Amino acid sequence: MTIRHHPEDELLLQLAAGRLEAGAAIVLAVHAEQCPRCRARVREFEALGGALFEALEPELLAPTALAETLARIDAGPRAAAVAPRPPAVRAQLPQGLPWPRSLAGCAIGPWRRLGPGLRWSRIGAPLDAQANIFLLRVTGGRRLPMHSHRGREMTQVLYGAFDDGRGLFGPGDFDTADDTVQHQPVVQPDRVCDCLASVSGQVLFDGGQARIGGALVGM
Amino acid sequence: MPGSMPTNDEWNVLVQAVASRGDRQAYAALFKHFAPRLKSYLLRAGCAAGLAEELTQEAMLKVWRKAATFDPARAQASTWIFTIARHLHIDGHRRQGDAAAAPAWDDDAGGADAGAPEVAADPEDGPERLLESGRREQRVRAALAHLSDEQAQILRRSYFDEQPHALIARDLGLPLGTVKSRIRLALNHLRRLLDGFES
Repeated sequence: MTIRHHPEDELLLQLAAGRLEAGAAIVLAVHAEQCPRCRARVREFEALGGALFEALEPELLAPTALAETLARIDAGPRAAAVAPRPPAVRAQLPQGLPWPRSLAGCAIGPWRRLGPGLRWSRIGAPLDAQANIFLLRVTGGRRLPMHSHRGREMTQVLYGAFDDGRGLFGPGDFDTADDTVQHQPVVQPDRVCDCLASVSGQVLFDGGQARIGGALVGM
Repeated sequence: MPGSMPTNDEWNVLVQAVASRGDRQAYAALFKHFAPRLKSYLLRAGCAAGLAEELTQEAMLKVWRKAATFDPARAQASTWIFTIARHLHIDGHRRQGDAAAAPAWDDDAGGADAGAPEVAADPEDGPERLLESGRREQRVRAALAHLSDEQAQILRRSYFDEQPHALIARDLGLPLGTVKSRIRLALNHLRRLLDGFES
C-alpha cells in the first residue's frame, strides 16, 4: 500500500514518550504498525528518549535502595498472574483481512447500524473504559454527515478509501482533525471503507439523524 | 569521569550478563548508573518522592527479571530500561483511573516491550537489525548534540515533564502560545539533522 498521509513528528514523539491518551495511542500504534516510515520514526524517538533519559541529572537514592532491591530479587518472583482471557472480537474486516496486532487486547464489538450505509463497532481498550475508540464502516459512494470536532479526532484507514476535500485517504493513511476542521468524508464508490478512529472531546454533527448517530457512538 | 563511563555496548553487555548468569556485579553497576536517573525521570513526570523511590526499585527489579527479554537489536540498554520505568509510571496512572492512560498494547505481559509489540515488531527484520539499532542510537545522539541548549531542553521537557508546555513557557519566559511553535521548530530541526546523518 502507498501511504500518503502520516502523523506529524510531534504525535509520534508523544506516542514514543507514552504521553497520549489510550485511544489516540492505539490509533497511532496501528498506523506505525502499517507504515515503515513512521515505525522507523517511533524507534528514533524511543532512542531519543533513551538518550535524554541518560542525560538526566541523577537523583540521590535511599542508601539502602540496592540492598533492598537485591533482597526482593532473592525473595523470588511473585506468583505469575493468570493470563487474562483474550477479549471478544465480534466484528470482522472485509475479505478476511486480519486485525492490526496493535488491537490485540482490545474488545471489538459487533457491527451496529448507525444510519443508512453507516455502521460502527465499539473498541474496548483494556483497563481504560474512558477511551473513545471505534470502527466506522461506510458503504461505497456514501458520504458521512458533515461534522466538526470539539476535541481531536484521529483516523486510520484500514480498508477502502475516502476523500474529504482535503485529500484522498486510502489503506494505511492517517488523518487527524480538530475544531478548525469541518469536513464531510465521501467514500470511494467501489467498496466499503473501514476506519479506526479515536475522539477526544465531542464530534459535532449537523442534522437530526446524525445527532442521534453521534449520541449512539457516545460522542 | 567521562573516560570511565561505560559505552552503550558495554551497558548492553552488562544487561546480557544479568540475563545469562545472574551476574550481580553487572547488576550493581547498572543499578548505580540507571537507578538515580530513573528517580530523576519519575520526579519530573510528577511522582512524589516516596513513589519515585518505590517505582525506581520496582523498575530495577524488572530489569533483573526481564533481562532475558532484552534485545539490543531493538533498543539499547538505556532505552530499554527507560521504557520499563515509563510503563510502570503509565500503569500507575491507569490504576488510578487517570484519563491519560497507557495505550492498550502497553500491558506488561512478557518482555518490557511486550508492552509495545506492534510498534516494535518489524516484518522486515533481518540480521542487519543489530547494526541498525546501534546506528540509529548514534544518529539520534549526534543529532541531539547539534541542537541548541534551548531546543534540547524543549525536547527533554516535551518527553518527560508532567506539564511540558507550562514549564517550557515559564523557564524560557515565553507566552504559552509561542511554546507550541518552538516545539515544532525543535522537532523540525531534529528531523533535518537525523535525515542529514542518514547515509
